[in-house]
Amino acid sequence: MVLEVRKPRPLWEILFSTHHTDIGLLYIIFSITLFFLGGALAISIRTELFLPGAQLFDDSNTFHRVFTVHGTTMLFLWVIPFAAGIGNYLIPIMVRYKDMAWPKLNAVAFWMLPVGAALVWLGFADTGWTAYPPYSILRAPGPAAEMWIFGLKILGISSILGAINFVVTILRMKHPDLPMMKLPLFTWAILSTSLILLMSMPTFTAALIMLYTDRLGVSGFFNPAMGGDPIAYQHLFWFTFHPEVYVFVIPAIGVIYEIIPKFSRKPIFSYTSGITAFILLTIVSFASWAHHMFATGMSFSEKTVFMIGTLAAVPASAMHIFNWIATMWGGRIRFRAPIAFVVGGIILFFLAGAGGVVNSAMPLDFLTHDSYWVVGHMHLFLMGIITFAFVGFIFYLFPLITGRMYNERAAMVQFWLMFIGVSLVFITQHLLGLYGMPRRVFDYVPVEPLITMNQISTVGAYILLVAMGIFLFNLIKSAGWGKPANMEDPFGIQEKYYDYRRREPHH
Amino acid sequence: MVSYSALILILVAVAVLTLLGVDSAVFGQETTQRYLSARIEIWALFYRLMVVAFVIGAVVMGTMTYVVWRFRESHPKNRADITPAAGGAHH
Repeated sequence: MVLEVRKPRPLWEILFSTHHTDIGLLYIIFSITLFFLGGALAISIRTELFLPGAQLFDDSNTFHRVFTVHGTTMLFLWVIPFAAGIGNYLIPIMVRYKDMAWPKLNAVAFWMLPVGAALVWLGFADTGWTAYPPYSILRAPGPAAEMWIFGLKILGISSILGAINFVVTILRMKHPDLPMMKLPLFTWAILSTSLILLMSMPTFTAALIMLYTDRLGVSGFFNPAMGGDPIAYQHLFWFTFHPEVYVFVIPAIGVIYEIIPKFSRKPIFSYTSGITAFILLTIVSFASWAHHMFATGMSFSEKTVFMIGTLAAVPASAMHIFNWIATMWGGRIRFRAPIAFVVGGIILFFLAGAGGVVNSAMPLDFLTHDSYWVVGHMHLFLMGIITFAFVGFIFYLFPLITGRMYNERAAMVQFWLMFIGVSLVFITQHLLGLYGMPRRVFDYVPVEPLITMNQISTVGAYILLVAMGIFLFNLIKSAGWGKPANMEDPFGIQEKYYDYRRREPHH
Repeated sequence: MVSYSALILILVAVAVLTLLGVDSAVFGQETTQRYLSARIEIWALFYRLMVVAFVIGAVVMGTMTYVVWRFRESHPKNRADITPAAGGAHH
Protein backbone atom coordinates (compact mmCIF):
# COMPACT_ATOMS: atom_id res chain seq x y z
CA MET A 1 0.00 0.00 0.00
CA VAL A 2 2.55 2.55 1.03
CA LEU A 3 5.90 1.72 -0.49
CA GLU A 4 5.10 3.77 -3.55
CA VAL A 5 8.61 4.35 -4.86
CA ARG A 6 10.52 1.36 -3.59
CA LYS A 7 8.27 -1.01 -5.50
CA PRO A 8 7.38 1.14 -8.46
CA ARG A 9 4.12 0.63 -10.27
CA PRO A 10 3.14 1.93 -13.68
CA LEU A 11 2.39 5.64 -13.53
CA TRP A 12 -1.06 5.19 -15.04
CA GLU A 13 -1.98 2.83 -12.20
CA ILE A 14 -1.34 5.61 -9.66
CA LEU A 15 -2.92 8.35 -11.80
CA PHE A 16 -6.17 6.43 -12.33
CA SER A 17 -6.31 4.93 -8.86
CA THR A 18 -8.97 5.78 -6.31
CA HIS A 19 -7.04 4.25 -3.42
CA HIS A 20 -6.48 6.66 -0.57
CA THR A 21 -2.69 6.33 -0.48
CA ASP A 22 -2.43 6.92 -4.23
CA ILE A 23 -4.68 9.96 -4.03
CA GLY A 24 -2.73 11.11 -0.97
CA LEU A 25 0.54 10.70 -2.87
CA LEU A 26 -0.84 12.71 -5.81
CA TYR A 27 -2.02 15.46 -3.46
CA ILE A 28 1.39 15.60 -1.76
CA ILE A 29 3.42 15.66 -5.00
CA PHE A 30 1.06 18.22 -6.54
CA SER A 31 1.18 20.53 -3.51
CA ILE A 32 4.97 20.35 -3.13
CA THR A 33 5.37 21.14 -6.86
CA LEU A 34 3.11 24.19 -6.55
CA PHE A 35 4.96 25.21 -3.36
CA PHE A 36 8.18 25.45 -5.37
CA LEU A 37 6.45 27.33 -8.21
CA GLY A 38 4.83 29.80 -5.77
CA GLY A 39 8.23 30.16 -4.06
CA ALA A 40 9.83 31.08 -7.39
CA LEU A 41 7.30 33.92 -7.71
CA ALA A 42 8.16 35.04 -4.15
CA ILE A 43 11.84 35.25 -5.08
CA SER A 44 10.96 37.43 -8.06
CA ILE A 45 8.90 39.72 -5.78
CA ARG A 46 11.76 40.10 -3.32
CA THR A 47 14.26 40.68 -6.15
CA GLU A 48 12.05 43.47 -7.49
CA LEU A 49 11.98 45.12 -4.05
CA PHE A 50 15.73 44.82 -3.41
CA LEU A 51 16.08 48.42 -4.59
CA PRO A 52 13.55 51.18 -5.23
CA GLY A 53 12.43 51.64 -8.83
CA ALA A 54 11.85 49.03 -11.52
CA GLN A 55 14.31 46.14 -11.17
CA LEU A 56 12.87 42.97 -12.62
CA PHE A 57 9.44 43.92 -13.97
CA ASP A 58 8.71 46.63 -16.49
CA ASP A 59 5.55 47.88 -14.85
CA SER A 60 3.54 47.64 -11.67
CA ASN A 61 0.76 45.69 -13.39
CA THR A 62 3.03 42.70 -14.00
CA PHE A 63 4.11 42.92 -10.36
CA HIS A 64 0.45 42.80 -9.28
CA ARG A 65 -0.10 39.70 -11.38
CA VAL A 66 2.91 38.01 -9.83
CA PHE A 67 1.90 38.60 -6.21
CA THR A 68 -1.71 37.62 -6.97
CA VAL A 69 -0.70 34.24 -8.37
CA HIS A 70 1.93 33.80 -5.63
CA GLY A 71 -0.68 34.29 -2.89
CA THR A 72 -3.35 32.19 -4.57
CA THR A 73 -0.86 29.37 -5.19
CA MET A 74 0.57 29.25 -1.70
CA LEU A 75 -2.82 29.29 0.03
CA PHE A 76 -5.00 27.17 -2.27
CA LEU A 77 -2.47 24.98 -4.06
CA TRP A 78 0.12 24.32 -1.37
CA VAL A 79 -1.30 24.53 2.16
CA ILE A 80 -4.82 23.12 1.62
CA PRO A 81 -3.88 20.32 -0.83
CA PHE A 82 -0.95 19.23 1.34
CA ALA A 83 -3.23 18.94 4.37
CA ALA A 84 -5.69 16.97 2.23
CA GLY A 85 -2.83 14.74 1.06
CA ILE A 86 -1.57 13.77 4.49
CA GLY A 87 -5.19 13.38 5.61
CA ASN A 88 -5.82 10.99 2.74
CA TYR A 89 -2.75 9.00 3.62
CA LEU A 90 -3.37 8.69 7.32
CA ILE A 91 -7.05 9.11 8.19
CA PRO A 92 -8.20 5.67 6.90
CA ILE A 93 -5.25 4.09 8.73
CA MET A 94 -6.06 5.96 11.93
CA VAL A 95 -9.78 5.17 11.87
CA ARG A 96 -9.06 1.58 10.74
CA TYR A 97 -11.07 1.62 7.56
CA LYS A 98 -10.02 0.26 4.19
CA ASP A 99 -10.22 3.58 2.33
CA MET A 100 -11.98 6.94 2.38
CA ALA A 101 -15.77 6.73 2.54
CA TRP A 102 -16.20 7.61 -1.15
CA PRO A 103 -13.02 6.75 -3.08
CA LYS A 104 -14.27 7.95 -6.46
CA LEU A 105 -15.42 11.27 -5.03
CA ASN A 106 -11.98 11.51 -3.45
CA ALA A 107 -10.32 11.11 -6.85
CA VAL A 108 -12.69 13.67 -8.39
CA ALA A 109 -11.82 16.15 -5.61
CA PHE A 110 -8.11 15.72 -6.37
CA TRP A 111 -8.42 15.96 -10.16
CA MET A 112 -10.29 19.25 -9.87
CA LEU A 113 -7.09 20.77 -8.45
CA PRO A 114 -4.95 20.70 -11.63
CA VAL A 115 -7.87 22.25 -13.54
CA GLY A 116 -8.22 25.07 -10.99
CA ALA A 117 -4.45 25.54 -10.88
CA ALA A 118 -4.27 25.74 -14.69
CA LEU A 119 -6.95 28.45 -14.74
CA VAL A 120 -5.14 30.49 -12.08
CA TRP A 121 -1.69 30.13 -13.67
CA LEU A 122 -2.74 30.56 -17.30
CA GLY A 123 -4.88 33.60 -16.48
CA PHE A 124 -2.33 35.31 -14.20
CA ALA A 125 -4.88 37.79 -12.82
CA ASP A 126 -3.86 41.05 -11.12
CA THR A 127 -6.63 41.40 -8.56
CA GLY A 128 -4.67 40.35 -5.47
CA TRP A 129 -5.66 37.10 -3.78
CA THR A 130 -8.59 38.90 -2.17
CA ALA A 131 -10.04 40.25 -5.46
CA TYR A 132 -11.69 43.20 -3.73
CA PRO A 133 -14.28 45.15 -5.72
CA PRO A 134 -14.65 47.71 -7.18
CA TYR A 135 -11.31 47.06 -8.97
CA SER A 136 -12.02 43.38 -9.55
CA ILE A 137 -15.43 44.06 -11.11
CA LEU A 138 -14.73 47.30 -13.01
CA ARG A 139 -11.09 47.49 -14.11
CA ALA A 140 -9.36 44.14 -13.70
CA PRO A 141 -8.44 42.91 -17.19
CA GLY A 142 -10.22 39.83 -18.54
CA PRO A 143 -10.13 37.00 -19.23
CA ALA A 144 -7.53 36.71 -16.46
CA ALA A 145 -9.97 37.79 -13.74
CA GLU A 146 -12.68 35.43 -15.04
CA MET A 147 -10.15 32.58 -15.12
CA TRP A 148 -9.16 33.37 -11.52
CA ILE A 149 -12.83 33.38 -10.45
CA PHE A 150 -13.54 30.03 -12.14
CA GLY A 151 -10.25 28.59 -10.89
CA LEU A 152 -11.11 29.52 -7.30
CA LYS A 153 -14.63 28.19 -7.81
CA ILE A 154 -13.27 24.79 -8.84
CA LEU A 155 -10.74 24.75 -5.98
CA GLY A 156 -13.53 25.64 -3.53
CA ILE A 157 -15.76 22.81 -4.76
CA SER A 158 -12.81 20.43 -4.54
CA SER A 159 -12.25 21.47 -0.90
CA ILE A 160 -15.93 20.96 -0.08
CA LEU A 161 -15.96 17.46 -1.63
CA GLY A 162 -12.78 16.54 0.22
CA ALA A 163 -14.18 17.88 3.51
CA ILE A 164 -17.42 15.88 3.16
CA ASN A 165 -15.36 12.75 2.55
CA PHE A 166 -13.20 13.34 5.62
CA VAL A 167 -16.16 14.05 7.92
CA VAL A 168 -18.03 10.91 6.79
CA THR A 169 -14.90 8.74 6.95
CA ILE A 170 -14.06 9.85 10.47
CA LEU A 171 -17.56 9.87 11.95
CA ARG A 172 -19.22 6.97 10.10
CA MET A 173 -16.48 4.66 8.86
CA LYS A 174 -14.25 4.40 11.90
CA HIS A 175 -13.92 0.99 13.46
CA PRO A 176 -16.84 0.34 15.85
CA ASP A 177 -14.40 -0.62 18.61
CA LEU A 178 -12.59 2.69 18.30
CA PRO A 179 -14.18 5.47 20.37
CA MET A 180 -13.79 9.08 19.28
CA MET A 181 -11.80 9.81 22.42
CA LYS A 182 -9.16 7.29 21.38
CA LEU A 183 -8.59 8.75 17.93
CA PRO A 184 -5.24 10.50 17.38
CA LEU A 185 -5.38 14.29 17.68
CA PHE A 186 -4.41 14.50 14.01
CA THR A 187 -7.81 12.96 13.20
CA TRP A 188 -9.52 15.58 15.36
CA ALA A 189 -7.54 18.26 13.53
CA ILE A 190 -8.72 17.03 10.13
CA LEU A 191 -12.29 16.74 11.43
CA SER A 192 -12.22 20.35 12.75
CA THR A 193 -10.70 21.59 9.50
CA SER A 194 -13.32 19.80 7.41
CA LEU A 195 -16.19 21.17 9.48
CA ILE A 196 -14.84 24.73 9.19
CA LEU A 197 -14.48 24.28 5.42
CA LEU A 198 -18.03 22.97 5.09
CA MET A 199 -19.45 25.91 7.02
CA SER A 200 -17.35 28.69 5.51
CA MET A 201 -16.63 27.82 1.89
CA PRO A 202 -20.21 28.05 0.49
CA THR A 203 -20.24 31.77 1.37
CA PHE A 204 -17.23 32.44 -0.81
CA THR A 205 -18.52 30.31 -3.68
CA ALA A 206 -21.67 32.44 -3.60
CA ALA A 207 -19.57 35.63 -3.47
CA LEU A 208 -17.61 34.45 -6.52
CA ILE A 209 -20.84 34.04 -8.52
CA MET A 210 -21.88 37.56 -7.50
CA LEU A 211 -18.42 38.85 -8.45
CA TYR A 212 -18.71 37.20 -11.86
CA THR A 213 -22.21 38.52 -12.62
CA ASP A 214 -21.05 41.96 -11.49
CA ARG A 215 -18.16 41.74 -13.97
CA LEU A 216 -20.65 40.80 -16.68
CA GLY A 217 -22.66 43.89 -15.78
CA VAL A 218 -25.88 41.96 -15.20
CA SER A 219 -25.84 42.64 -11.47
CA GLY A 220 -24.43 45.27 -9.16
CA PHE A 221 -24.05 43.58 -5.81
CA PHE A 222 -20.68 45.21 -5.21
CA ASN A 223 -20.86 48.04 -7.75
CA PRO A 224 -21.55 51.45 -6.10
CA ALA A 225 -22.73 52.88 -9.44
CA MET A 226 -25.57 50.34 -9.43
CA GLY A 227 -26.42 50.76 -5.77
CA GLY A 228 -24.17 47.95 -4.59
CA ASP A 229 -21.66 47.92 -1.74
CA PRO A 230 -18.02 46.81 -2.14
CA ILE A 231 -17.79 46.39 1.64
CA ALA A 232 -20.42 43.64 1.42
CA TYR A 233 -17.91 41.57 -0.60
CA GLN A 234 -15.33 42.05 2.13
CA HIS A 235 -17.76 40.66 4.69
CA LEU A 236 -18.55 37.64 2.50
CA PHE A 237 -14.87 37.13 1.69
CA TRP A 238 -13.62 37.31 5.27
CA PHE A 239 -16.51 35.22 6.61
CA THR A 240 -14.89 32.46 4.58
CA PHE A 241 -11.26 33.40 4.82
CA HIS A 242 -10.81 34.17 8.45
CA PRO A 243 -12.03 30.65 9.34
CA GLU A 244 -9.81 29.55 6.46
CA VAL A 245 -6.81 30.75 8.51
CA TYR A 246 -7.71 27.96 10.92
CA VAL A 247 -8.14 25.57 7.98
CA PHE A 248 -4.50 26.33 7.25
CA VAL A 249 -3.17 26.14 10.79
CA ILE A 250 -5.21 23.33 12.44
CA PRO A 251 -3.75 20.53 10.25
CA ALA A 252 -0.29 21.88 11.14
CA ILE A 253 -1.23 21.68 14.83
CA GLY A 254 -2.43 18.10 14.24
CA VAL A 255 0.91 17.28 12.63
CA ILE A 256 2.75 18.69 15.65
CA TYR A 257 0.67 16.43 17.92
CA GLU A 258 1.84 13.47 15.81
CA ILE A 259 5.52 14.36 16.01
CA ILE A 260 6.18 15.79 19.50
CA PRO A 261 5.00 12.83 21.65
CA LYS A 262 6.80 10.30 19.48
CA PHE A 263 10.17 12.08 19.40
CA SER A 264 9.85 13.06 23.09
CA ARG A 265 8.94 9.43 23.83
CA LYS A 266 6.13 10.48 26.14
CA PRO A 267 2.35 10.43 25.83
CA ILE A 268 0.63 13.74 25.10
CA PHE A 269 0.43 15.82 28.31
CA SER A 270 -3.30 16.40 28.00
CA TYR A 271 -5.21 14.71 25.18
CA THR A 272 -8.54 16.17 26.32
CA SER A 273 -7.28 19.75 26.37
CA GLY A 274 -6.00 19.25 22.81
CA ILE A 275 -9.50 18.26 21.67
CA THR A 276 -11.05 21.10 23.67
CA ALA A 277 -8.70 23.59 22.03
CA PHE A 278 -9.59 22.25 18.55
CA ILE A 279 -13.31 22.65 19.28
CA LEU A 280 -12.75 26.16 20.68
CA LEU A 281 -10.72 27.19 17.63
CA THR A 282 -13.42 25.80 15.33
CA ILE A 283 -16.06 27.92 17.07
CA VAL A 284 -14.11 31.16 17.50
CA SER A 285 -12.85 31.01 13.92
CA PHE A 286 -16.30 32.30 12.95
CA ALA A 287 -16.32 35.12 15.52
CA SER A 288 -13.53 37.27 14.19
CA TRP A 289 -13.80 37.84 10.44
CA ALA A 290 -14.39 41.60 10.57
CA HIS A 291 -11.09 42.33 12.31
CA HIS A 292 -9.70 42.45 8.77
CA MET A 293 -12.02 45.40 8.16
CA PHE A 294 -11.51 47.71 11.16
CA ALA A 295 -10.47 50.49 8.78
CA THR A 296 -13.66 50.36 6.70
CA GLY A 297 -15.71 52.61 8.97
CA MET A 298 -17.37 50.09 11.28
CA SER A 299 -18.99 51.30 14.48
CA PHE A 300 -17.13 51.17 17.78
CA SER A 301 -19.47 48.45 19.09
CA GLU A 302 -18.95 46.22 16.04
CA LYS A 303 -15.19 46.63 16.29
CA THR A 304 -15.27 45.78 20.01
CA VAL A 305 -17.25 42.59 19.35
CA PHE A 306 -14.81 41.41 16.69
CA MET A 307 -11.79 42.40 18.74
CA ILE A 308 -13.00 40.25 21.62
CA GLY A 309 -13.95 37.47 19.19
CA THR A 310 -10.42 37.53 17.78
CA LEU A 311 -8.74 37.53 21.17
CA ALA A 312 -10.86 34.51 22.11
CA ALA A 313 -8.56 32.43 19.92
CA VAL A 314 -5.59 33.23 22.16
CA PRO A 315 -6.49 30.90 25.08
CA ALA A 316 -7.10 27.97 22.71
CA SER A 317 -3.78 28.54 20.93
CA ALA A 318 -2.05 28.88 24.30
CA MET A 319 -3.55 25.52 25.36
CA HIS A 320 -1.87 23.87 22.40
CA ILE A 321 1.50 25.53 23.07
CA PHE A 322 1.34 24.63 26.77
CA ASN A 323 0.43 21.07 25.82
CA TRP A 324 3.44 20.76 23.50
CA ILE A 325 5.91 22.19 26.03
CA ALA A 326 4.50 20.04 28.83
CA THR A 327 4.70 16.96 26.59
CA MET A 328 8.38 17.58 25.90
CA TRP A 329 9.07 18.37 29.57
CA GLY A 330 10.65 15.35 31.21
CA GLY A 331 10.90 13.46 27.93
CA ARG A 332 13.97 12.07 26.21
CA ILE A 333 13.89 13.99 22.95
CA ARG A 334 15.67 12.60 19.92
CA PHE A 335 16.37 15.57 17.69
CA ARG A 336 15.82 14.40 14.16
CA ALA A 337 14.64 16.67 11.36
CA PRO A 338 10.86 16.28 11.97
CA ILE A 339 10.94 17.54 15.56
CA ALA A 340 13.55 20.20 14.76
CA PHE A 341 11.17 21.70 12.19
CA VAL A 342 8.28 21.46 14.62
CA VAL A 343 10.13 23.21 17.48
CA GLY A 344 11.32 25.94 15.08
CA GLY A 345 7.75 26.32 13.85
CA ILE A 346 6.39 26.72 17.39
CA ILE A 347 8.89 29.51 18.13
CA LEU A 348 7.89 31.33 14.93
CA PHE A 349 4.21 30.67 15.77
CA PHE A 350 4.64 32.59 18.98
CA LEU A 351 6.25 35.55 17.23
CA ALA A 352 3.44 35.59 14.67
CA GLY A 353 0.84 35.36 17.45
CA ALA A 354 2.38 38.33 19.31
CA GLY A 355 2.05 40.42 16.16
CA GLY A 356 -1.50 39.16 15.72
CA VAL A 357 -2.52 40.44 19.16
CA VAL A 358 -1.42 43.91 18.05
CA ASN A 359 -3.44 43.62 14.84
CA SER A 360 -6.55 42.50 16.67
CA ALA A 361 -6.50 45.46 19.11
CA MET A 362 -8.58 47.88 17.09
CA PRO A 363 -6.78 51.14 17.94
CA LEU A 364 -3.46 49.57 17.06
CA ASP A 365 -4.79 47.99 13.88
CA PHE A 366 -4.97 51.46 12.35
CA LEU A 367 -1.19 51.76 12.73
CA THR A 368 -0.50 48.56 10.85
CA HIS A 369 -3.44 48.28 8.46
CA ASP A 370 -2.43 47.70 4.82
CA SER A 371 1.24 48.05 5.74
CA TYR A 372 4.09 45.57 5.40
CA TRP A 373 3.47 44.64 9.05
CA VAL A 374 0.44 42.66 7.86
CA VAL A 375 2.50 40.98 5.14
CA GLY A 376 5.13 39.98 7.69
CA HIS A 377 2.47 38.77 10.16
CA MET A 378 0.56 36.49 7.78
CA HIS A 379 3.75 35.12 6.23
CA LEU A 380 5.22 34.36 9.65
CA PHE A 381 2.15 32.19 10.25
CA LEU A 382 2.18 30.56 6.84
CA MET A 383 5.93 30.06 6.50
CA GLY A 384 6.51 29.78 10.23
CA ILE A 385 4.35 27.22 11.92
CA ILE A 386 2.43 25.86 8.92
CA THR A 387 5.23 25.30 6.41
CA PHE A 388 7.73 24.30 9.11
CA ALA A 389 5.31 21.70 10.48
CA PHE A 390 4.48 20.43 6.99
CA VAL A 391 8.13 20.17 5.93
CA GLY A 392 8.87 18.32 9.18
CA PHE A 393 5.99 15.97 8.44
CA ILE A 394 7.26 15.36 4.89
CA PHE A 395 10.45 14.05 6.47
CA TYR A 396 8.44 12.04 9.00
CA LEU A 397 6.33 10.41 6.26
CA PHE A 398 9.28 9.95 3.91
CA PRO A 399 10.05 6.34 4.97
CA LEU A 400 6.35 5.45 4.83
CA ILE A 401 5.97 6.78 1.29
CA THR A 402 9.29 5.76 -0.24
CA GLY A 403 10.63 2.99 1.98
CA ARG A 404 13.90 4.95 2.15
CA MET A 405 15.47 7.46 4.53
CA TYR A 406 16.19 11.06 3.64
CA ASN A 407 19.62 12.59 4.26
CA GLU A 408 19.49 13.77 7.88
CA ARG A 409 22.42 16.18 7.64
CA ALA A 410 20.97 17.91 4.57
CA ALA A 411 17.60 18.17 6.32
CA MET A 412 19.17 19.82 9.39
CA VAL A 413 21.15 22.27 7.22
CA GLN A 414 17.87 23.06 5.47
CA PHE A 415 16.20 23.61 8.84
CA TRP A 416 18.74 26.16 10.04
CA LEU A 417 18.76 27.99 6.70
CA MET A 418 14.95 28.10 6.72
CA PHE A 419 14.81 29.33 10.31
CA ILE A 420 17.31 32.12 9.66
CA GLY A 421 15.76 32.95 6.27
CA VAL A 422 12.17 33.13 7.52
CA SER A 423 13.20 35.28 10.51
CA LEU A 424 15.14 37.69 8.30
CA VAL A 425 12.41 38.02 5.68
CA PHE A 426 9.32 38.34 7.81
CA ILE A 427 10.45 39.93 11.09
CA THR A 428 12.07 42.66 9.00
CA GLN A 429 8.79 43.12 7.15
CA HIS A 430 7.07 43.92 10.47
CA LEU A 431 9.57 46.77 10.94
CA LEU A 432 9.07 47.91 7.34
CA GLY A 433 5.38 48.26 8.13
CA LEU A 434 6.12 50.39 11.18
CA TYR A 435 8.27 52.63 9.00
CA GLY A 436 5.20 53.14 6.83
CA MET A 437 5.85 50.95 3.81
CA PRO A 438 2.46 50.00 2.30
CA ARG A 439 1.82 46.45 1.12
CA ARG A 440 1.47 45.43 -2.55
CA VAL A 441 3.72 48.17 -3.87
CA PHE A 442 6.03 47.84 -6.87
CA ASP A 443 8.22 50.79 -5.82
CA TYR A 444 8.97 52.62 -2.59
CA VAL A 445 10.37 55.90 -1.33
CA PRO A 446 14.19 55.75 -1.65
CA VAL A 447 15.06 56.48 1.98
CA GLU A 448 17.71 54.70 3.99
CA PRO A 449 15.62 52.59 6.42
CA LEU A 450 13.30 51.27 3.72
CA ILE A 451 16.14 50.37 1.36
CA THR A 452 18.20 48.64 4.07
CA MET A 453 15.30 46.65 5.47
CA ASN A 454 14.07 45.61 2.03
CA GLN A 455 17.57 44.40 1.25
CA ILE A 456 17.76 42.41 4.50
CA SER A 457 14.38 40.88 3.64
CA THR A 458 15.55 39.97 0.13
CA VAL A 459 18.78 38.41 1.42
CA GLY A 460 16.59 36.30 3.75
CA ALA A 461 14.55 35.22 0.74
CA TYR A 462 17.71 34.09 -1.07
CA ILE A 463 18.72 32.08 2.01
CA LEU A 464 15.30 30.43 1.78
CA LEU A 465 15.97 29.74 -1.90
CA VAL A 466 19.16 27.86 -0.98
CA ALA A 467 17.23 25.91 1.69
CA MET A 468 14.56 24.97 -0.84
CA GLY A 469 17.24 23.84 -3.31
CA ILE A 470 18.68 21.52 -0.65
CA PHE A 471 15.13 20.30 0.15
CA LEU A 472 14.35 19.46 -3.48
CA PHE A 473 17.69 17.73 -3.99
CA ASN A 474 17.25 15.75 -0.77
CA LEU A 475 13.74 14.63 -1.73
CA ILE A 476 14.67 13.51 -5.24
CA LYS A 477 17.99 11.87 -4.37
CA SER A 478 16.76 10.13 -1.23
CA ALA A 479 13.56 8.88 -2.91
CA GLY A 480 15.61 7.18 -5.61
CA TRP A 481 18.86 6.26 -3.93
CA GLY A 482 18.39 6.79 -0.17
CA LYS A 483 19.31 4.20 2.44
CA PRO A 484 16.48 1.63 2.88
CA ALA A 485 14.54 2.51 6.02
CA ASN A 486 13.93 0.22 8.97
CA MET A 487 10.17 0.23 8.51
CA GLU A 488 9.38 -0.92 12.04
CA ASP A 489 11.09 2.11 13.61
CA PRO A 490 12.74 4.32 10.97
CA PHE A 491 13.80 7.05 13.43
CA GLY A 492 15.09 4.73 16.16
CA ILE A 493 12.78 6.18 18.79
CA GLN A 494 11.20 2.91 19.98
CA GLU A 495 7.76 4.25 19.11
CA LYS A 496 5.20 2.63 16.86
CA TYR A 497 5.38 3.87 13.26
CA TYR A 498 2.46 3.74 10.85
CA ASP A 499 1.41 0.31 9.70
CA TYR A 500 3.26 0.04 6.40
CA ARG A 501 2.33 -3.61 5.87
CA ARG A 502 -1.39 -3.04 5.52
CA ARG A 503 -2.12 -3.74 1.88
CA GLU A 504 -5.49 -3.25 0.35
CA PRO A 505 -6.38 -4.03 -3.24
CA HIS A 506 -6.10 -0.98 -5.45
CA HIS A 507 -9.39 0.02 -7.00
CA MET B 1 10.03 13.43 36.72
CA VAL B 2 7.72 16.13 35.53
CA SER B 3 8.06 19.27 37.57
CA TYR B 4 4.48 20.43 37.81
CA SER B 5 5.36 23.25 40.22
CA ALA B 6 7.64 24.80 37.58
CA LEU B 7 4.87 24.58 35.00
CA ILE B 8 2.41 26.24 37.38
CA LEU B 9 4.95 29.03 38.06
CA ILE B 10 5.22 29.70 34.33
CA LEU B 11 1.43 29.80 34.03
CA VAL B 12 1.18 32.30 36.87
CA ALA B 13 3.86 34.51 35.28
CA VAL B 14 2.02 34.44 31.94
CA ALA B 15 -1.29 35.30 33.65
CA VAL B 16 0.25 38.26 35.50
CA LEU B 17 1.82 39.63 32.33
CA THR B 18 -1.47 39.24 30.48
CA LEU B 19 -3.23 41.23 33.21
CA LEU B 20 -0.56 43.93 32.88
CA GLY B 21 -1.43 44.10 29.20
CA VAL B 22 -5.13 44.49 29.98
CA ASP B 23 -4.24 47.30 32.38
CA SER B 24 -2.32 49.08 29.62
CA ALA B 25 -5.28 48.82 27.27
CA VAL B 26 -7.60 50.34 29.88
CA PHE B 27 -5.15 53.19 30.50
CA GLY B 28 -5.15 53.99 26.77
CA GLN B 29 -8.90 54.62 26.83
CA GLU B 30 -9.02 56.91 29.85
CA THR B 31 -10.77 60.19 29.26
CA THR B 32 -8.96 63.20 30.64
CA GLN B 33 -9.44 66.91 30.48
CA ARG B 34 -5.85 67.61 29.56
CA TYR B 35 -4.61 68.05 26.00
CA LEU B 36 -4.19 64.62 24.45
CA SER B 37 -2.10 63.89 21.40
CA ALA B 38 -3.76 60.85 19.83
CA ARG B 39 -0.65 60.07 17.84
CA ILE B 40 1.58 59.94 20.92
CA GLU B 41 -1.01 58.02 22.94
CA ILE B 42 -1.53 55.35 20.31
CA TRP B 43 2.18 54.77 19.79
CA ALA B 44 2.69 54.67 23.55
CA LEU B 45 -0.03 52.03 23.77
CA PHE B 46 1.57 50.15 20.91
CA TYR B 47 4.97 50.08 22.60
CA ARG B 48 3.45 49.05 25.94
CA LEU B 49 1.59 46.14 24.33
CA MET B 50 4.68 45.13 22.40
CA VAL B 51 6.72 45.10 25.63
CA VAL B 52 4.11 42.82 27.20
CA ALA B 53 4.05 40.61 24.08
CA PHE B 54 7.82 40.33 23.97
CA VAL B 55 8.09 39.60 27.70
CA ILE B 56 5.57 36.76 27.35
CA GLY B 57 7.42 35.68 24.22
CA ALA B 58 10.71 35.62 26.09
CA VAL B 59 9.15 33.47 28.82
CA VAL B 60 7.63 30.99 26.34
CA MET B 61 10.67 30.84 24.08
CA GLY B 62 13.02 30.67 27.05
CA THR B 63 11.02 27.73 28.38
CA MET B 64 11.10 26.13 24.96
CA THR B 65 14.85 26.57 24.71
CA TYR B 66 15.33 25.15 28.21
CA VAL B 67 13.13 22.14 27.42
CA VAL B 68 15.00 21.48 24.20
CA TRP B 69 18.37 21.76 25.96
CA ARG B 70 17.53 19.90 29.16
CA PHE B 71 15.43 17.05 27.83
CA ARG B 72 17.42 16.25 24.71
CA GLU B 73 18.50 12.66 24.48
CA SER B 74 22.19 13.53 24.71
CA HIS B 75 21.91 15.51 27.98
CA PRO B 76 24.11 13.88 30.67
CA LYS B 77 21.13 13.42 33.01
CA ASN B 78 19.04 11.87 30.27
CA ARG B 79 21.19 9.05 29.02
CA ALA B 80 19.71 6.22 31.04
CA ASP B 81 17.37 3.96 29.12
CA ILE B 82 13.69 4.55 29.63
CA THR B 83 10.80 2.37 28.73
CA PRO B 84 8.55 3.85 26.04
CA ALA B 85 5.22 4.96 27.43
CA ALA B 86 2.53 2.35 27.07
CA GLY B 87 -0.05 3.23 24.48
CA GLY B 88 2.07 6.18 23.29
CA ALA B 89 -0.20 9.21 22.98
CA HIS B 90 -3.43 7.36 22.29
CA HIS B 91 -2.13 5.89 19.05
